[in-house]
This record gives sequence, structure tokens and C-alpha cells, in this order.
Amino acid sequence: MSTEPSAERGPWSLALRRFLRNRLAVAFLGLFVLIVLFVLAAPLWADNVAHTGPNEEHTVEQITVDGEKKDVVTPEGKPIGPQWFGADGKFFLGADGRLGRDEMVRLMYGGRTSLQIGITAALIATILAVVLALLAGYFRGWVDGLIARTLDTIWSLPVFLIGLALGIALAVGGLKIGPLELSSGSIWNPILVISIFTVPYIARPIRGQVLALSEKEFVEAAVAQGAGPVRVMFSEILPNLASTIIVFFTLMIANSMLFEAGLSFLGAGVQPPNSSWGTMITVGVELLNIQPLLAILPGLMIMLTVLALNIVGDALRDALDPRGKARMDAALEFEAQGGIATGQQGATA
Amino acid sequence: MKKLGAVIAVLVLAALSTIGLAACGGGDDTSSGGGSGQKGGTLNATYASFPDYMDPALSYTAEGWTAMADVYIPLLTYKHANGEEGSEVIPGLAEDLPKISNGGKTYTLKLRPGLKYSDGTPVKASDFPFAVERMIELNSGGSPFYLTIEGAEKFSETKKGPIPGIKANDKTGEIVINLEGPRGTFTNELGLMFVAPLPQDTPIEDLSANPPPGTGPYMITKSQPGKGWEYERNPYWEKANGKAMPDLPEGVVDGAKITVIRNPQSQVDDIEQGTYDWMQNPPPSSRYAEVKEKYEGTQFRVEPTISTYYFWMNTQEPPFDDVKVRQAVNYAVDAKALERIYAGQIVATQQILPPGMPGYEQFELYPHDMGKAEELMKEANPSDTDITVWTDTESPNNEAGEYFNEILKELGFNTQLKIINADNYLTVIGNATTPGLDAGWSDWFQDYPHPNDFFQPLLAGGSILPTNNGNFAKFDNSAVNKKIKELGAEQLGPDQEAAYKDLDKEIMEEAPWAPYGTRTLSTFVSDAIDLESVIFNPTFGHYLSSFEFK
Amino acid sequence: MTRFIVRRLVAMIGVLFAVSVIVFVVFMVLPKQNPAQTLAGKNATPGLVKNIEEEWGFDDSLPVQYATMMKKVFTGELTSYKPRLPVDDRIIEGIPATLSLAVGAAVIWLFFGLLLGYLSAIRAGGWLDRILTGVSIAGISIPVFLLAPVLLYFLSYKLEIFPNAQYVPFSEDPYEWARHLILPWFTLALLSIGFYSRVLRSNMLDVMNEDYVRTARAKGLSERKVMTRHVLRNSLIPVITLFGLDFGATIAGTAIITEAIFSIDGVGYYAAEAVKKFELPPIMGVALYGAFFVVLLNALVDIAYAYLDPRVRLGESASE
Repeated sequence: MSTEPSAERGPWSLALRRFLRNRLAVAFLGLFVLIVLFVLAAPLWADNVAHTGPNEEHTVEQITVDGEKKDVVTPEGKPIGPQWFGADGKFFLGADGRLGRDEMVRLMYGGRTSLQIGITAALIATILAVVLALLAGYFRGWVDGLIARTLDTIWSLPVFLIGLALGIALAVGGLKIGPLELSSGSIWNPILVISIFTVPYIARPIRGQVLALSEKEFVEAAVAQGAGPVRVMFSEILPNLASTIIVFFTLMIANSMLFEAGLSFLGAGVQPPNSSWGTMITVGVELLNIQPLLAILPGLMIMLTVLALNIVGDALRDALDPRGKARMDAALEFEAQGGIATGQQGATA
Repeated sequence: MKKLGAVIAVLVLAALSTIGLAACGGGDDTSSGGGSGQKGGTLNATYASFPDYMDPALSYTAEGWTAMADVYIPLLTYKHANGEEGSEVIPGLAEDLPKISNGGKTYTLKLRPGLKYSDGTPVKASDFPFAVERMIELNSGGSPFYLTIEGAEKFSETKKGPIPGIKANDKTGEIVINLEGPRGTFTNELGLMFVAPLPQDTPIEDLSANPPPGTGPYMITKSQPGKGWEYERNPYWEKANGKAMPDLPEGVVDGAKITVIRNPQSQVDDIEQGTYDWMQNPPPSSRYAEVKEKYEGTQFRVEPTISTYYFWMNTQEPPFDDVKVRQAVNYAVDAKALERIYAGQIVATQQILPPGMPGYEQFELYPHDMGKAEELMKEANPSDTDITVWTDTESPNNEAGEYFNEILKELGFNTQLKIINADNYLTVIGNATTPGLDAGWSDWFQDYPHPNDFFQPLLAGGSILPTNNGNFAKFDNSAVNKKIKELGAEQLGPDQEAAYKDLDKEIMEEAPWAPYGTRTLSTFVSDAIDLESVIFNPTFGHYLSSFEFK
Repeated sequence: MTRFIVRRLVAMIGVLFAVSVIVFVVFMVLPKQNPAQTLAGKNATPGLVKNIEEEWGFDDSLPVQYATMMKKVFTGELTSYKPRLPVDDRIIEGIPATLSLAVGAAVIWLFFGLLLGYLSAIRAGGWLDRILTGVSIAGISIPVFLLAPVLLYFLSYKLEIFPNAQYVPFSEDPYEWARHLILPWFTLALLSIGFYSRVLRSNMLDVMNEDYVRTARAKGLSERKVMTRHVLRNSLIPVITLFGLDFGATIAGTAIITEAIFSIDGVGYYAAEAVKKFELPPIMGVALYGAFFVVLLNALVDIAYAYLDPRVRLGESASE
């Protein structure tokens, strides 16, 4: 009963205090903030230090490093390695591949895309999932059955195959469903694929919680007072889901970023010439034995971001609900299913 | 019949295994290896993918042709030689090159006597029309080459034979082919495996898992689509075919085992470590420079192909309907940058015909000059500058597309880049209903060494089709069309080659393409193999019969 | 109970039907492409395209094409386009490799997942727990498609500790079979090790607070006996359930990238190749068999739960 609606301020500030006591989580939250600042600084670095845009090619150019001329890409197609400040910050981390673009600039801009997709997809998936879970858990009966089977269907679809096919289909002609129009190359394509496939992982556990909550006295009281379903769902049940939703949302950003990287790796995510950490890994893996950093750097960025979000999400759960049995179960179930989610996306991906 | 075949196969296998053992014994004795190397041994090789089909009537890829070149011999074939010498058409199962009469419409050939398939069935003249019919009935991608045979077009619709344009006499071995009109490329086309004779009891279905008997020095004894296949010597080569076709090599190794390894990095490691003796595909571009530096001359050789890599521009719609804009693009594209993008696996060219193709003579109309490009753009001042740029997903073609995209941006266009899955790319950009086909990447590898094979499908107005279009530039110039048509009906000689040379230049002045290079492939073998003896034919690639252990 | 099972099975068929329709729509309808055009090759004439359309039935209406395809699924007559060979044969050929990969990885992830989970639960809050938690979370944060090539590059190419992947059939050489699969197994298992250890840990911590555990302790049972007999045993049930779901998902789809990077000729790779070529029949085959597997395991888990916990059953029927 830690988050009864009557106890407005108490639990939240308590949770905050609990969270701040978790030094590891605070450190990783700091890391996440740093990463966000890093990608936000992209135009600053590009304009003032590297003097090049993320998609500008320098294939046949030469740069002067400590008074020595160097090919950005050798005639054999080997991109230049990290120059640090040898060329005044140009090619700080070297060139990104045979097109001779600045790796550092692309890493920063790519991170923007990755985070943007991760956050947007997680947001859409969470909203969709919460609405579905509320409907299913509150109305039960055939509504619940229909939603459960729909989620089952999504669950049983080969994520990888469908994601890849959708990506390819969209790349050719885009897609028009009613007012929604997706053109090829838009970052909304991977966002859509990711959010649809992640809905079941959030919706299932939340539905369980809604089921439990709707049998509580305060809900029954509201119904007895003549509150309509919409009111009951959104003003009685929803506030009680808040802490769970926050936790899920954090974890889902991490999950979506991995998913995006996977889709991009398969050519169904972010479309060139734009970069994301996923597309950069793809380019890098191909050049692994020439410049291993090109795969490892964006991989490391994804890893750190996901790691930070996972640890923060974990700590949030502990802080928001240290003893609550119902939520613990739900979170556990989520974790179990999240395991499948990432397992699937990671591996698929 | 099937059972009998199986019995024969078992007997043959038993016989071969004893021979093989004996040969292996000899092979172990390396000290005696002087001069021309060892006879025998089993070649352990790897391909990066299984061919599209392991059926001579259907395969239309380099892998498939390489895999079957020494198994299915057509009436005519190509000389087992490297480079331009390998472009010469020589008699295969036929005694001689065809006698061409009736204004280039009638081809007369005679089958060599005493030929046998690898299952012992004698080869008959009527096996040729059977093979043509089988290929057309299977809706093979190769069938368009043969639809000018009288009645073949109708046969392809009704599937009811015989094709009246082919007369075969089993007694004399004479084969007479009548065409509806003269076709200068037909000799080349008779040398393709699509029409290699097959026994007439061969089922009319894709036999990729169970390839039919052939006439070459080797036969495919096992085929597991997706995984690999195996060769052994054709027992009837020594008994019959080898004597009848002394000008074709009998092969050195006793057999070969091919494994499909999809990771080209692993392939390179395996060759270096000697686990495999040869890889059919080139090393991946990230390993190419390293392999070339380490092994060139000993285990590695660069092989030219007859191919052109190019960017096309839609000549029928703005902004590329203006020749100045197209010329500007030609000046702007820097072949040197593209050489780097292809990690040294292309050689820069700026014309339609590639080196090695009859009629090729080097010229360079548009040396890289960004200033000139911008000047031309200013003069042309195109009003519509929103364009879509197309390329496929295969690396480094995707990077070439990105490069092209940036160049066009630099010239002042608003571009959108679309990268299409490689297996569907041609279908997408060859379909007139696809929106935004303004400019993009493409390549073309010859089907056979005849310049018509470039001009007709890629640049003739008549080749602009609503689907499966190959003329991506939608180039339709009546003077050029006329020349392509006239030259296509003539047999290739010095005059024709000169005319093709002029045609190349004439079209490049119109600049429907910005060509940038010709692809090189490679031979990469383990140190157990004699690199010198390996033959890379421009049409069929590596001949299995040319491999030998040191 | 019987009614519950029947209802669950009916729902299962519904889900499979939906999967088949979605796969069909995504591959046949959305791409707006005629496979006949791709099949006809680079030299195609309109006549050839038409002939191929007729041969494969691409000129039929979409519902007819769907019905024909489903008929072929049930009669086992699905044929791939290029080369034209039975899909079932290739799937059956690929099963040993995929099963070897999935089972081996599952054994590894269960073993290490449970071991790490158990260790960090009995030392909850201690430094070992913290390290293990960190390792688990790090494990789930690495994208497989990065980990696999990096492992392959450093361990196999640079240090030559492991062979270049490839699959060696168990029947051919069990030692080589295992040696070639070690890297892929660990790559695939790493993600799940992290999850399983965390699930087990939080489960055990939960159970430790239960009354019966306190009673057992009060009775004077040794800590070790309490842990293994009561806590671990009771915490394992949800883990095993989770495994039922996860294993299906792994076989149905997760192994694809691992198979591709390590050149393992399994079902997953076959499917990936087919997607690249946009060949519907193999995709439909793999997707449906895979979905069948996943849905069946899900249903079995549900039924098992219903059997163990009557509330589920009642809740379900009450909601009907």
C-alpha cells in the first residue's frame, strides 16, 4: 500500500532519497547525462573543431598531421586512424570508413539518432502498452481475450524476419496507412517496428497489475460512486501504475536502442548516409581487421548507454517500491519477459 | 532408369575410388614433382554462396557457370585460356564452328561422333533441340537469347514442340538452326551452357539437387543446395569424349569437394592455413590489400573481368534530360575516389565498353574537373533539382551510391538516397512504376564477349521496358538505335569492332552514364596449388580442369 | 481443465493463422513487387515474366495465392524459387545445426545463470553480489552482432584459439562439433546468463521472506539445507517457466544472426537468406513452424500453470 493516492508527496520524496543513497546508480545516471551532453554537443564539435559535417566525404583528401601529409583513405581503401589533436581535432577518432568521413562527428550525430529512436520508440510502446493493459485489465472478458491473443501473435512473429522485411519494403516505396505516411529513409520506420514489437513485453505485466488494482476497495468505491470506466481507469488506476511505468520506460529505452542497432545492422534501420550507432557498427564490423576501433567505439557507446539505463532502471525500481509484493511480481515478470525481449532482439539483432 | 543410373554410379564410384587411391599415393610423393606438377588429388575448395541453380539450363550467375563449365559442354565453347585469348569461340561437342548461310540466318553444325554422357548414354544430335526446349519450358532466364530461333517464341508460349527452327539428324549428327533474322551474337550464344545437350530422359524440372549427366571431363556426383557439392572424373571422358575432343583439357585433379562458407573472412583464413585449396570469390575488400601484398605472384593473382560499373541518369526527365547536366556529373565523378571506395578492386575507366571487350579502345572524355562541372551546371541551370539516387546494399556498391549522392549534392541537387536490397535492386529500378528513378548506380558483366551484349540491353531504345528494364538511363537516340541494330545483325569482324569503338564514343558524348570502372576479381589458392596453371576465363571464370597440385 | 485446454488450443490456432496472414502481407503485398520479375533475371522479356507468373501462380488474386500457399504448407509441398527445391527438406537438413546451437547455448545459460543467481542471492548485498549483478547487466548490454565478430576476430583469427566457425555434424566428429560450437554457444548464451541470474536472485530473495522458510530455520535446519531444499527449489519454478518460453523463442528466431556470423548452416540462416531474396515460401515455412513451436510452448506453460494454480483457470473462465 505504499502508493495509495492519499499519500501524495511522502512516497516520492522517500523514493528519491532511497535512489540517491544508491551510489552506483547515481554514478551511472551521471554517465547517462554525460552521454546525452556528448551527443548534444555534436554541432559544436563539428563546426568548431572538426570543421566538417557528419556526411561530408573526404575520400581523396589529405590532412596535415604534425607537418606531415597523410591520406584520409589510402589507395588500398584503409581509413586513417585516430589523430587526436594532431590535425587540430580533425579526424580526432580517424575516418569512418572508405568514404573518409569524420568518425568523431558521426559518432556524436549517430548517438543523437540512436537516443532519439530509443526514447521515442520506448515512449510510444509504453503508451500503447499502458492503454492496452488498462483496457484488458479493466474490461476483461472478450476485450482481454482479444488483446491477449493480439499480443500473443506479435510475440510469435519472427521479429527479425518481419523487421527486416518491413524495413526493405519501406525502403522501396514507403507505406501509407490512412493518415500515417511513412517515407523511405525516415527514422519513423525503425521507431514503428520497434514500438510494435516491444508492446507485449510491457503490456503483459501491467495488465496483471491492473487486474489486481481493479479489485481494490478504492476502485470499487469509485465505481459505486458512479465513476465511468474512463475515469476509473485514468484517474484511479493509472496513478498507481506510475512507478512501474517509469521503471519500464527507462528499461525500454535501453531495449529499443539495442533493437535499433540490430535493425540497422540488418539494413532495416537508419538509412545511409545518416548514421546511428547501429549503422556505424555495421560499417565497422566489415573493417574489423583494418581499424577495429570503428566497430568497438559505437559498440562501446551503445553498451555504456544501455548499461547506465539498466542500472538506473533497476535502482528506480528498488527506490520506488522496496517491499511492494505486487509490483515486485510484475517487475519480475517483466524482467523475465524483458529477458526474452532483449535476448531476441539482441540475438536477432 | 533411375535405378540403373544408381547401379552405374555405384560401379563407377567403386572403380574410381581405386584409381583415386592410386593417384593419391602418387600425389603424396612430392619429391618427384618437377615442372608441370602432379596429376591427381582432390581439390578442396570454397565458394561464398551456392550457385543460383546447379542445372545448366537455369544457372545465370558467375558462380553457376564456373561450377559447371567443365561438366556441361555446349556445341561450341570458349577457349580454355586467360584474358582475351579466352574470349575465342571454339568447337565444343560440334566438330567445327557453324557454317553460316542464308544471309546470316542459317547455322549448320555437326556433332562429333562417339560422344557419351557421364552415365554412358551416347550423345545424339537431337539432344540439342531437347536441351533448348527443356530450357525454354523451364522459363530459364537464358531463354531470351534463343527466341530468334524460328518458332521458339511460339514454343515459349505454348510449350508444344518441336521447335521448327532446329533440325537434328541423329544418323549424320547434323544440326541445322534457322533464325528469324540474322543475329551476329548467335555463335557466342551457342557457347553458353543454357543449351548444352542433355540426355533426352532428363526430367523437365530444376535438377539443382541432382544434376543431370554431362559431357565434360568432370561430373557432379553430389549436390547439397546451400551447403556444397562434389566432382569426380567423368569415366566416359577417358573412354570416349577425351579422344573425340582432344583440344579440350582433360583436367589434372581427380575430383573436387566444394564447401560453401559464407563468411569471406573465414575463407581467407582457411586458404592461408591450407584448410582449403582455392576460393572462388575474391577476398573481402577489407582483406584484399593485405592478401594481395602478401601473396601476389605466389598464391594470388588479379583477374580482369569484362564489366563496367557506372552511374546512370534518366535522360528522359529533368534535370538529367539536359546533356550539360549529365556532362557536369561526368566531370564531377572522380574515378580515383571510387578506386579507394572499392579498395583497389576496380580499375578506373570512363567509357561503356570495358577493356578486354572487342571494340574497346581507351578514351577519356571527362577527366575529373570540379570547376568544369560547376561551370556546366551554371550554364544548364536546371529548374528541377529534387532527385532520388539509387543503389543496392552490397558493399561497396552502397558506398559508391553514397559517394554519388554527395557529389550530386555538391553540384547543387537536393538528393534522397535509396539503398535497395541487392537481390531486388534490378527489379525495383527496372520497374517503370517505381517513383523517382532519376539517377543511380549499376554494373554490367558481359554474358559473352561481344560488344552488342552491352549496347543492346543497356542503351538501345527498344530495350526500354515497363518492367525488367535494363536501359536505366532510358537512353533512346534514333541514330544510335539504328547503329546498334545494324551492327547486331552482322558477324563480328575488324570493321564492326571499329564501328563499335565509334559508337562507344558517340554515346559517351551524350553522357547517359557516368562510368567509373571495370571490376577485377582474383585467383587465391593455397600454397599447395600451382598458381601458374590456373586459368581464369573472362566468360566462365576459373576452370576446374586447370587446377593442379604442386 | 479440459475446457481450458481446448480453449487455449483454439486460441493457438487463431494466433498461427494471424501469423501466416501477417507474413504473407508483409512479404507479398507490402513490397509491391512481382517476384516473377526478379526470377526472370537480367535479360528478361515480358513473355518470360508472364510465363513465370503462370508457372508460380503470381497472376492469381492474393487470397487465392494465400490459399494455395497454405495448402502447400500442410501438404509439405512448399518449394523455394531459386533453386526450385522443397522447403521442408532444407528445414529438416538445418535442424541438427540449429538444435545443436540452441540446446548447447541453453545448457550453458541455465548452468551459469543459475550458478551466478544462486551465489549472488545467498550473498545478497555483499561485494560478490554487486560484482555478479554488474556482470549480468553488462552481459545484456552488448549487442550480439558486435560481440560475435569481435570474438571471432580476436579469438579465432588473431589468437587462433578457436577454429573458424562452420558446423561439423556431431555424427562426423563429436570433438570438432563441440570445438566449433563453443564460441557461438557462449555468444548466444551470454545475454540469457545475465537475465537468468537476476531472475533467480530476486526470486530467491522473495522466497527467503516467506513464512515457511522462517519456520524451517526456526526448526534448526542448517542454512545450506534451508537454501537448497526450500528456497532454491521454490525459486526455480518461475525460472523453468521462463525457460520454456525463452527456449522456443531462441529456436524460432534468435539464433539467426549467430548462425550467419559463424557460418552455421541451420534453419535460421536458411530463413535469413530467403528474406534477403524475398522468397516467400521458405520464409512462410520457417515462420510458421517457428511460431508453432513458440505458441505451443506458451500454451503448454499456460496449461501447466493452470494445472498448478487453479486461480488462473478460474480467472480465465470468469472473464469469459
